Amino acid sequence: MADAPTPIMFAIVTTRKESVHGGMAPVFMARDEPERDRIAMWLCRITNCIAHDLHNGTIVLTVNQASNG
Amino acid sequence: MSSSSAPIDWSPMVIGFAAGFISRLISLRTGRTHYPGYPSGYISQLALAIIAAMIGSSVIVSLVGKEFTAATFLTLAATQFRDVRTTERKTLEQEEDLILVARGAGYIEGIAITYEARNYLAMMVALVTSVATEYTGVVIGGVVGIIAIIIGEVYMSGPKIGDMIEVEPAKIHFEKGSLLYVGDVMMMEVGLPHSRERYQKEGMGVLLTPKGRRGQAVLWNVAQRQAISHEAAAAVGTQKDVGYPEQTPLCRMDMPKGSGRAGLSILPVEHNMEALIKAIKNTPVLESGKWSAVTSPVLNRKEME
Repeated sequence: MADAPTPIMFAIVTTRKESVHGGMAPVFMARDEPERDRIAMWLCRITNCIAHDLHNGTIVLTVNQASNG
Repeated sequence: MSSSSAPIDWSPMVIGFAAGFISRLISLRTGRTHYPGYPSGYISQLALAIIAAMIGSSVIVSLVGKEFTAATFLTLAATQFRDVRTTERKTLEQEEDLILVARGAGYIEGIAITYEARNYLAMMVALVTSVATEYTGVVIGGVVGIIAIIIGEVYMSGPKIGDMIEVEPAKIHFEKGSLLYVGDVMMMEVGLPHSRERYQKEGMGVLLTPKGRRGQAVLWNVAQRQAISHEAAAAVGTQKDVGYPEQTPLCRMDMPKGSGRAGLSILPVEHNMEALIKAIKNTPVLESGKWSAVTSPVLNRKEME
């Protein structure tokens, strides 16, 4: 409880292909920012994850291991 | 008990029972923990209250009647009340997965301890009253009962958040594009524009400023802040469902400054600042929140005094 659960990076949504490399998380390419936000929102609602904007055209989606929803 | 030679004087038992039962009834009414919330919950609490008051009030009668076996059995029965705590904890823990804003383990333990203690309190009030009635008569016994009930009530109602912490409304805004702030306390990063819009339009923010060292120690406790969020959400509702983790009501410290203040952000169903502040002020201070008011270097800062 006192320690925050370690988030797992679940997916990456970006408009700038060159700013990310593939790793454990799938990378979703978007044409522009509205599309990127839309994809991020859908993925959030589907998988119960949290979106974090890195402000370089990339949004990372993380899932908390023991998330209480 | 009928084997004793002298006829039994029932008045200590009756008055003691009444006092113990009333003491338990009063604490049932003033519970602000949203538990028990249903008739079935009340019935089980009432049944326990009757048993507790009876045990407390019949001890002295059986001792006076020289029924030591009966008195021993009564003390045995009293130990059964230990289970109350476990039962309460289990019920609330199971509920934890089903509610959107969890109470947190600290709050649950606090509620469980309180319920256990209140049964013992009813028992003690009954005992004291019946002893007084036995030796001083019905009138004085009744007076002692009333005094015992009042003392029990005063000492059993622990401190509230409002006693130690100033609660005031604050504006919700975003900085650097996506960082959610309540006043000048940073809460979290909201990545989705849709959610940011929602927060700006409907969100409510509250700043919690400790009045002193004690209040600050209370706020640094995570379980305490979870309890505050739970109470806040219970008071004004929360626009949240499974799959919307970023719309959870949050209570966070002013980090990385560590000034000891905390902010609370919530997306309420009912936009009622008064109810929100009142609910937060009425949140009980948890036992686990009472630790070490001096260990953190931050707590020694001048401006907090």
